[in-house]
Amino acid sequence: MAEMWISMGPQHPMTHGLWTLKVKVDGETVVDTIPDLGYIHRGVEKICESRDFTKITTYCDRLCYASANTWAHSYIYAAEDLLGVEVPERAEYIRVIAVELQRIASHLIWLGAFCPDIGNLTAFVWCLREREMMMDLLQELGGSRMHYNFPRIGGVKRDLPIGFAMRARAKLNLFLNRIQETEQMLDESTVFLVRTQGVGYAKPEEMVNWGVTGPNVRAGGVNYDVRWAHPYSVYDELDWNVSVERPSIKGADSYDRYRVRVDEMRESAKMCLDALDKMPGGAETHYTEGDPMILGKSKQRAEEGQTGFHHFEDSRGESMFYLAGGGEQRGKHPYRISIRSPMFLTIPYAAKCMIGYKIADIPAIMGSFDPCIGETDR
Amino acid sequence: MEDIFTVREWVGELTQFIADNTIGKTSLSDYSELTANVMTESIMAVTVFGTIMGTILALLWIERKFFARIMDRRGATMALRSLWVGEGGEHVDWYDDLPFGTGKPIRWLNGFLNDTAGNASEYETVHRTKDRGYHGVWWMLPGLIQNVADGMKFMTKEWMVPAKADKFIFEVAPFIIITSTVMIFAFIPLSSNIFAANPELSLIFMMAIFGIAPLGVFFAGWSSNNKYTLLGGIRSAAQLTAYEIPLLVTVLSVAVIAGSFNIIEIAEFQMTSGVWNIFLLPLGAALFLTTMVAEVERIPFDMPEAEAELVEGWWTEYGGMRWGLMFASEYLRSYAACLLFAIFFLGGWEMPFGDSIVGIIPNQDLILGAIGAGLLGLAIGLRSEYPALLAPAPLVLMSVVPPTAWLLMKAWLMFAVFVWIRASLHRIRSDQILEFGWRWLLPLSLVNLAMAFWLRISVWQGGEWPLLIPVLITAIALILFVILGIDEDTSELEGRTRPYSVYTESKGPASPRSHE
Repeated sequence: MAEMWISMGPQHPMTHGLWTLKVKVDGETVVDTIPDLGYIHRGVEKICESRDFTKITTYCDRLCYASANTWAHSYIYAAEDLLGVEVPERAEYIRVIAVELQRIASHLIWLGAFCPDIGNLTAFVWCLREREMMMDLLQELGGSRMHYNFPRIGGVKRDLPIGFAMRARAKLNLFLNRIQETEQMLDESTVFLVRTQGVGYAKPEEMVNWGVTGPNVRAGGVNYDVRWAHPYSVYDELDWNVSVERPSIKGADSYDRYRVRVDEMRESAKMCLDALDKMPGGAETHYTEGDPMILGKSKQRAEEGQTGFHHFEDSRGESMFYLAGGGEQRGKHPYRISIRSPMFLTIPYAAKCMIGYKIADIPAIMGSFDPCIGETDR
Repeated sequence: MEDIFTVREWVGELTQFIADNTIGKTSLSDYSELTANVMTESIMAVTVFGTIMGTILALLWIERKFFARIMDRRGATMALRSLWVGEGGEHVDWYDDLPFGTGKPIRWLNGFLNDTAGNASEYETVHRTKDRGYHGVWWMLPGLIQNVADGMKFMTKEWMVPAKADKFIFEVAPFIIITSTVMIFAFIPLSSNIFAANPELSLIFMMAIFGIAPLGVFFAGWSSNNKYTLLGGIRSAAQLTAYEIPLLVTVLSVAVIAGSFNIIEIAEFQMTSGVWNIFLLPLGAALFLTTMVAEVERIPFDMPEAEAELVEGWWTEYGGMRWGLMFASEYLRSYAACLLFAIFFLGGWEMPFGDSIVGIIPNQDLILGAIGAGLLGLAIGLRSEYPALLAPAPLVLMSVVPPTAWLLMKAWLMFAVFVWIRASLHRIRSDQILEFGWRWLLPLSLVNLAMAFWLRISVWQGGEWPLLIPVLITAIALILFVILGIDEDTSELEGRTRPYSVYTESKGPASPRSHE
């Protein structure tokens, strides 16, 4: 068969969002790929320039539909850096719990979407069943099931509800039991192994050069986790391990990326349980020292030329917000805001990884990189 | 076991009687026998097709419900329950608002349902609705009418042909697929007396017809003028070369054992010789199951319609009732595969433990039936307040179950296995099925054929099988299954460069700062 171009997307089951992957195929073999992004560019960075610092959180929630909480926290840490706000320790613990629960939910929906990509619907429903427990817990915190708007500059929206720790412990322990079941179904199935092992090799040095971060690069044996390398919040006080895969010489394949995410879910659950134990008592969940009116004094706090940023370990990699204050001129609004999206850098590399494999491997490779187009296009 | 339901003879007598008393009394009396024969054949064909088409709903229902059970998800039962139990276990008394007391019967029904499966029963409803492991009550047969709704939706949809498609081939392809699928059932007997046609070489004829539909798939994929359908059609043709030869060789082994190419004789040989083929050719049964899953294009062998990468594969451009009928023919092919498995390997329409396995006990039907019915009655008696005196009742029922019902039940059981396979496996790649087919299925099917020859020529002495042979073969097969099924040695795997399971490493302390 002659070579031909197939345009997969913007509406295609493989895309997990709204983008196009142009694939040049020779029979069943992929010869060339061109990713085409930008279908849902909403100009979040520009919109945020006309919102005051507290209202930006809602927009950051909407950057990623699968992992809203981590993006809101990512912004909040950068804003706190710019405005020079210190957060009570209890609020930091609550934030860690919220973020790690969201990470589990995000990885679960990734696993749930990855398995139908290679033909199994059962794991999808099982993962959504477990994600439901995380959703219930996050709903207790933020009051919503998708866009929580939970963190505030200087703290969190509210303290943990009564009985939250008890319910969270029960559900996380149940989750730790149930994830084994899904894992067994996948790991002991030869069909799953032959579909994921040996496809989509990604070399660690190439991934570092391309700027791939998060579970994808940790699957390649690169021990880089922002929570570990540049600890923020209370991550260095908690008992947890970085999930790093031992890749083969060729690099990390789809199976490595699957393993590292499953292990990361387990570590996140253990981290939540540990945080619930170590959390200090009291009701201080918001910035009280100094000026309580953060927004009112933001003109003085965010002077012209002053910048704030924060590296944050998102579910998909290292996200970063870069804020520039405008002083008197801009008032309560930031002068400029810039977002580093991990998937924007990962998707072109993932498209490159597909060359040389079969058409049937495209979902198996693309799905394993966990694309989220909401944050990619911003 | 004597088949007391000699339906074909009854119909023959009836039509002969009708013909004799109508045409036979006119000047056309020479044709009365011919008329009676035509009528008999028509009635039998309609009976077979009616049975198949009517019972295919069971297949769809099994697919829905068994799949939902495995996936542990809420189904139509939960939606139905919302009629009498609202969100969070609240009662919804909507029927009280109906005028003129028309809601009274509904109120009565609601009360009954609440007592048996609602708040008032032994478990709390709130827990049930929150716990997704609970699926409601099976006896409501929820989801059965969904297929009718689907069918009506297909019928009302517009039929569109893509502008640049090869219109003639595009229109012809569904007809090839659907007609060849329906024709399979002409040669599948539902019992020794209920069949549409019974030529001498029905097995060869039927397997030939079974292989026509992939050709239609290829036509459909090529003519749609779409890259996805093209790839799907070519995948279908490539897949055909992988599974068709092992399938035919496996079917040949069944024919060798029975010494006949006639499907009815193959089934009856299992009854007369006393052993089902699955106990003689367990390898053949496994091969037949694998290749049949590939033949009917279900997961893990559904590459031609791989929805993740090829949107919907070869039938992307089809819509309306043609799509609906092709989808129905997909299930009909699955049904045919299940029926064939039951006929070739599970003794056809014979009652389980009827004559085959235990040939030494006199009146074994009665004794085994009594034991089974006694256990059933005991179970019922333990479960509820029914007196155990009712225990012999199922005995009577069991002895009068028609052979066709046994066959259908075996086929449904096989379909449950199909659903199980679909729920637990992933889709493999085209090159992988080619490798699997040529390197594993074909040599194994030849081994199986050799085994069938050996059994037929050297072991079988006419009459019944010596019981030692099937017992020995089954034991060896089970031992091999267990040995191959248990996990690999994990400590050995760790030493390899590319083990099955790569373990995640825990690198150092939680953070560099905690050292300070």
